[in-house]
Amino acid sequence: MDTPTLLDHLRTHDTALTLPRGGTLRWDDADLHRAAHRRDPEGYALLALAPGVLPWQRARVLLRILEATQAGLDEPARAVLARLARVLTLGLPPGHVITVLLALRRLRANHKHTTRTALRFVLEHPGADALIAARRPALLDCFEHALGTATARGCARRIADGDTTSDYLRRRLLRFLTTPRTAPARVRALYATAPTPDGTADDPAGPALTEPALTLDAPRTRPATATATDRGDIAATLVHLYRGGPAAALYEALGRHLDEAAAAFPRFPGTIALVLDASASMRGHGAREWALMSQAAALRMVLSEVCDRLEVVETGGDERAPRGATDLATGVLDALGADPDLVAVVSDGHENLFPGDLARVIATLPAAGVTTPVVFCHAAFTADDPTPPPPAPSLPRRAFWHQDDFADLLSWMLGHCAAGAPWLRAFLHTRLDDLDRRADALTPGLAA
Amino acid sequence: MTDLTALDTLVPGPLSLAGHRLGTPQQAGALTMVPISGPAHPGFTPPHALRPSRATGRGQVELTNPDAGGVAIVPLHIGHLHDRAPTRALCRSALIPPGRTLRFEDACCVQEGRSGHPTGGDPRFLVLPGELRARALALRGVTDHGKLSDAIADLNARHGLARHGHLDRLLARHRPALTRFQNRLEPQPGQVGALFLIAGRLAGVEITPDPAYFAQMWTALACHAYGVAAHRAEPAPPARAEPYHAANLAELRGALDHDRSARLAHLTEQITAQLTGPATGPVRLREEDRHQTLRLSTLIAPHLAGQIVTDGDRAIYASLFAHRFPPDPAIP
Repeated sequence: MDTPTLLDHLRTHDTALTLPRGGTLRWDDADLHRAAHRRDPEGYALLALAPGVLPWQRARVLLRILEATQAGLDEPARAVLARLARVLTLGLPPGHVITVLLALRRLRANHKHTTRTALRFVLEHPGADALIAARRPALLDCFEHALGTATARGCARRIADGDTTSDYLRRRLLRFLTTPRTAPARVRALYATAPTPDGTADDPAGPALTEPALTLDAPRTRPATATATDRGDIAATLVHLYRGGPAAALYEALGRHLDEAAAAFPRFPGTIALVLDASASMRGHGAREWALMSQAAALRMVLSEVCDRLEVVETGGDERAPRGATDLATGVLDALGADPDLVAVVSDGHENLFPGDLARVIATLPAAGVTTPVVFCHAAFTADDPTPPPPAPSLPRRAFWHQDDFADLLSWMLGHCAAGAPWLRAFLHTRLDDLDRRADALTPGLAA
Repeated sequence: MTDLTALDTLVPGPLSLAGHRLGTPQQAGALTMVPISGPAHPGFTPPHALRPSRATGRGQVELTNPDAGGVAIVPLHIGHLHDRAPTRALCRSALIPPGRTLRFEDACCVQEGRSGHPTGGDPRFLVLPGELRARALALRGVTDHGKLSDAIADLNARHGLARHGHLDRLLARHRPALTRFQNRLEPQPGQVGALFLIAGRLAGVEITPDPAYFAQMWTALACHAYGVAAHRAEPAPPARAEPYHAANLAELRGALDHDRSARLAHLTEQITAQLTGPATGPVRLREEDRHQTLRLSTLIAPHLAGQIVTDGDRAIYASLFAHRFPPDPAIP
């Protein structure tokens, strides 16, 4: 399975992992995950951090990297997987992680990295006390699976007798942890038989099980009423420029916003050809005037900062003066003439000049010997904008309406071309580094 | 983009469209819009500037031309949208001298209140859906504010709505889809008019004095006058795209160009046949109004009807629509 297809699966296949009592783990897409992991363990695992991947899919990646042996992996790759496991255990709803750990028990996976991750989750999670109070039997199962039942109970007995530093505890339990001093109290809590004072022991409900300690995807707020200027700093500045605002100050602000946005992305050493719909509908009218065009222009500007070479093919008018009709088919043919690594069509989707031609051209490309991937980026007014029928249904399609969509959009776009694979890996490594730093702040001393 | 053809050879009779040309057609679902470019006649009051004032009777509308220098050509079959007031539509066009107010006694009420329309700002106007225009034109001069109620009720019923004489029921129900027509089709720079086809059949010809006037008419024409019927005839998207026979990019570009040329030629033939072919009867022209050298006339041709404004032998304004609407016989 290629990267775009896998990414699409991770972003859309939203079924839970389940563990029926006494039955086997229900993991409907296990073969897909195992195949992707076999091909490139590190690359597969990093995809879990791509923006928009669903929590249950991230849980599957966590399950897969903890289930699989790390034999044959070099030390840097193991380190990446260890950091990913930490980030995912903190960034997923704790209930999901518990399901993964219990699934590992069913699968009888007990590698060292499995043990380390399980013990750190049970004993060092920022909400460990609340979690133990809410899911004590489940976490006890996880703990005993991680260490082995006899060893776990041996450790618990010693801790109950007041031992916190013996060689036995150090070799069998404390060496897996980063803050051993917190472990004894939590192990005692795991083996405590009395209910909690408020009587809520073993109650699976509550925020402790649903709220991740670490936010993987920045939360998006949707304004009650979308306007042309609440779509990110770059687009807002462009709208003011288009409306005739003070050019000097706005250009200065534009440069600043652009630098900030582009700094979030690694450099792409290839060529993207952008077919930019600059027709009248992209300008819009009334309250929506400039909304689509400004966002499309913002994307073009960020790509021009990120890509070594960006070829722009405008159809209709141009960015500053959108006008006329939309001929996307000719735009794609012109774009392919630039021999790019990827063609991205940015449009509101209203192909009114010879409608259907884009679909026919796309359908002909394989026979014409063209292997360059073509993707369709739908410029929308809001996230909830009714989407028109796509001009070429066979094209991979993704909507965007806000500058905050660019991380998702760029990783999706560049995931479609071979030259984008190193870019995507570098982008996800950057995300991992950032999440790792935030995890450090969340759990001081809890290094991977 | 290549022009299709000169228009003066296509529209026979008293309407001289010398200098007007058809552009490359655009299509949105069942609705095809062929842009018309041509000579601009600036100086006319733009339609948004026309101000309706409160009239006493239910079938009365007063329109004021606030422009001190320009004559106003009142677009045919417009209805002004008011907050908390009945919407009345006009059954005819008119010429209003600079700074003057004209009272229409033969307006018709198309809805009792304005529900669901965006409020605030200037009142904007609609143009009656094509299905109502022949009836409205026939009833010009008749003072009966409810004269279109039955036709509106029939139209609502054809769209699956309760049989009620309120146009807003229909427009509100389909507003998102109708509104999108103004974006799905895109006026060209310098466009002064358009020829509309629905499901390949000629639905109407609209000519305005200049591009600014046409731009102000665009929403009402695309969304209301022709969008309503086009929405009902919206075809299902094609199941699959047929690839061209091409072994490389150059061949693909050639195949695309060839195919487009063939389709344009076919469309030109189709339009020519519909404009000139059925003209087996007389074209009747009746003058309705005049101001200086301007003449407003009602045109009844075998296949089209509507009103035109001429200045000498030059066409300044025309709003002509198919007698049978929707024009596709396949649509009941």
